[in-house]
Amino acid sequence: MKIRTVRLLVKEGTFNVYKNKLMSFASLATVIATLFILGLVLLIVVNVTTNIDNMKKDLEVVAFLDRDASILEKEEVGLYIEENRKAGIVLSYRLETADEFFESLKTDLRNNEKLLDDLSPELFPDCYYIKLNHPDYSDDFIAKLKLYEGIDADWISYPKDELEKLSGTLSVINYVTIFILIVLIVVSILLISNTIRLTVFARRKEIEIMKYVGALDWFIRLPFIVEGMIIGLAGSLVSFFFTSQTYSWIRSGLDTLFASAGVPNLKMIEFNPVALRVLVIYVIFGMTMGIIGSFMSVRKHLNV
Amino acid sequence: MIRFIDATKVYSNGVVGLKNLTVRIEKGEFVFVIGASGSGKSTFLKLIMHEEVPTEGEVYVNGYSVHDMPRHEIPYLRRSLGVVFQDFRLLPNRTAYDNVAFAMQIVEALPREIRRQVPLALGLVGLSKKAKAYPNQLSGGEQQRIVLARALVNNPAVLIADEPTGNLDPKTSWEIMNLLEEINQRGTTVIVATHEKSIVDAMKKRVIVLDRGELKHDEQKGLYINEN
Repeated sequence: MKIRTVRLLVKEGTFNVYKNKLMSFASLATVIATLFILGLVLLIVVNVTTNIDNMKKDLEVVAFLDRDASILEKEEVGLYIEENRKAGIVLSYRLETADEFFESLKTDLRNNEKLLDDLSPELFPDCYYIKLNHPDYSDDFIAKLKLYEGIDADWISYPKDELEKLSGTLSVINYVTIFILIVLIVVSILLISNTIRLTVFARRKEIEIMKYVGALDWFIRLPFIVEGMIIGLAGSLVSFFFTSQTYSWIRSGLDTLFASAGVPNLKMIEFNPVALRVLVIYVIFGMTMGIIGSFMSVRKHLNV
Repeated sequence: MIRFIDATKVYSNGVVGLKNLTVRIEKGEFVFVIGASGSGKSTFLKLIMHEEVPTEGEVYVNGYSVHDMPRHEIPYLRRSLGVVFQDFRLLPNRTAYDNVAFAMQIVEALPREIRRQVPLALGLVGLSKKAKAYPNQLSGGEQQRIVLARALVNNPAVLIADEPTGNLDPKTSWEIMNLLEEINQRGTTVIVATHEKSIVDAMKKRVIVLDRGELKHDEQKGLYINEN
């Protein structure tokens, strides 16, 4: 393919977008809407996933030592946790002794000291707070931990299940979203295809002459593909702008809401670090929709 | 150059376009293809252009096997042919010059070649002065000359004309036929499908007569034979 020919055909395709302005605008609007929804849904999924991952990282295994266990048995538990830390399973851990716990209890109940009258540190067990590197390690780690004599096996807690329920709900939302997106993408492709079909129809005689004179298929297709690509590209850029503005607006609103609702740990991700990725996804989706739409329109007329 | 070997074309609706046709056209010949409507003239031309493919038999055109041809080779076969239609098929929004140049752009000719060849082709058909005119500013005869210029500008080995004088008055028809003869004398093979008895009889060229898809006569320096 010679560069001057490509230039000529690209010019022709660009001109067609302008010539068909009404239908081009309709296609553009659909691409913008489709990508806008795609973008927002993707950002919601990324936000929920990021927050769940952060929560998972903050999860702690809380394990109480048996009050009746010997010092050796308690040390064995400590050794087990330390070995796992070295192996990369445990991220960090701390031991809260019964004395330390009693001291913190005294601080908490300083206004109701009477409640402490009958209590003493000996009544409480020592306790390990263990953060794991990944929630997937928890089942195996806890199962082995329970085997130690120094551990009170009935009192090991790890709230993984609640988060897994949340992840399950998220995957259902993902499937619904994918379905809606597929429908929107198909609608966009059909609209682009119809827009370009108008150009193809207006130029069917030209296409026929081109075929009789010996034009190669790509020579005939390229202007139409360019037309579809321009609609897709323009749609993706406009949509990217709308998405970034809307997301920033939603983000500031939700962050304020989370802070005032007392859940400051929930935070929406910033747009700038993911902006390039979103733009690339938009451009790829937009241009692919344009190209597929063009191919669908021009295929029939190539069989002269 | 062009060979039909026992070629048959049956359309999907059952109509027989050509039946066991065997014919050979050599380089540099001038051939009239005549016959009533439905005799197979158009099918004959369509097979040469690969607009249709034979259902049986073989068709060879300029070294290409039309009956067994990969799709990507079709444009190259067509580049070796020039086609003239009864209804001209010019692009109305382009000037005479641009209509002719368009045929060269399609085959990716160099701009300097386009600038040299297009005026030559327009000169050959006697329309140098109408280069800037649009088709609707030209008479039927002039439009057909532009079509001839477009068909010739890429120097095809074979020129195919399907009823080239069908929409023209007798005087203009003769002008077009004289042009076709001139083109033939320059070495281009010319195949003309026509109903014009007076022209066929006067020009004394090879005449292929088709009747219901079959070859009825094939005569050098023949006359128009009324197959009915």
